[in-house]
Amino acid sequence: MFKDLDPILHSQLRLAVMSLLISVKEAEFTFLKEKTNATAGNLSVQIQKLKDAGYIDVIKQFKDNYPQTICKITSTGIKAFEDYVRNLQVYLTQPK
Amino acid sequence: MRGICFCITNYMEQEKKLTEQESLNLIAMMINKAKDSYHDTGISAIMWGALIAICSLVRLSEIQFDYRLPFDIYLLTLVAIIPQIFISIKEKKEKKVRSYDDIYLDYIWLGFGIGIFLLIHITNNVFGEWGSWANEYKNLTGKQASFTFGEFVSPLFLLLYGMPTFITGAACKFKPMLWGGIFCWICCIITVYTTIKIDLLLTALSAISAWFIPGVLMEIEYRKYKKEQAVLNV
Repeated sequence: MFKDLDPILHSQLRLAVMSLLISVKEAEFTFLKEKTNATAGNLSVQIQKLKDAGYIDVIKQFKDNYPQTICKITSTGIKAFEDYVRNLQVYLTQPK
Repeated sequence: MRGICFCITNYMEQEKKLTEQESLNLIAMMINKAKDSYHDTGISAIMWGALIAICSLVRLSEIQFDYRLPFDIYLLTLVAIIPQIFISIKEKKEKKVRSYDDIYLDYIWLGFGIGIFLLIHITNNVFGEWGSWANEYKNLTGKQASFTFGEFVSPLFLLLYGMPTFITGAACKFKPMLWGGIFCWICCIITVYTTIKIDLLLTALSAISAWFIPGVLMEIEYRKYKKEQAVLNV
């Protein structure tokens, strides 16, 4: 029985962000922007969606008088990501 | 390279629906990208490698040429904690990403530092006690004690030097440091059977191979990465 893939994660940029964050403890917004090659505006929108879903925590602070945004994955986000990968594997291993 | 970047940019901007295989490929690609972003400067390793090597060689020259500096050369290791704090703060500020390995390794090196200072405290106390026994023995028998405590201090330090070095080398998949850690342990075994002069020489060699050389290689790698990043950002 196929389960529906999580629509929050089944989008390129959001999945890319979650894949980066699953491998690290925390990352700056600029790091995510650099690795995904996305525009700041688009990335901000997708990060907000992930935050609203409770998948990531976003910490806004100042570093050397400049605003700094730090993102880290939550336990809900880890669970959702694991479920997503498991479901993907089911899709790929089942005969079509 | 630019072609690949352009494709990724389009890929991200268009927000097209992914197939299952594309999703898995994207996950693998991003995880690898995150892994490739851990680049540490080698400044701390260079500083400590050079410092321990210099301290050991100066102590060796004191014994060899029978002179004494007005201060204990190993006190420089205490002074070096100050620049180390500044280096650590600066490196932490510059890092855009913090991996789980970073946190564990920070604790391992902190534990190593505490361990070294505890070992210095223990050996100084035992050395003080042993010194008075050795003098008493000499006064009573007129002979020098055949056991010299100082010759058994180096293996203890080398044993400690090897541990965080080996773990860091293994965790970061950085072979020069891994082999440096193993070299410290080989020297640890050798120094049990050698005189204090050879012990000091091997300690200097261990510091150079475990920290100084890997530090230089890390710094070269870090500068290369920074240069590549600067070119990509132009």
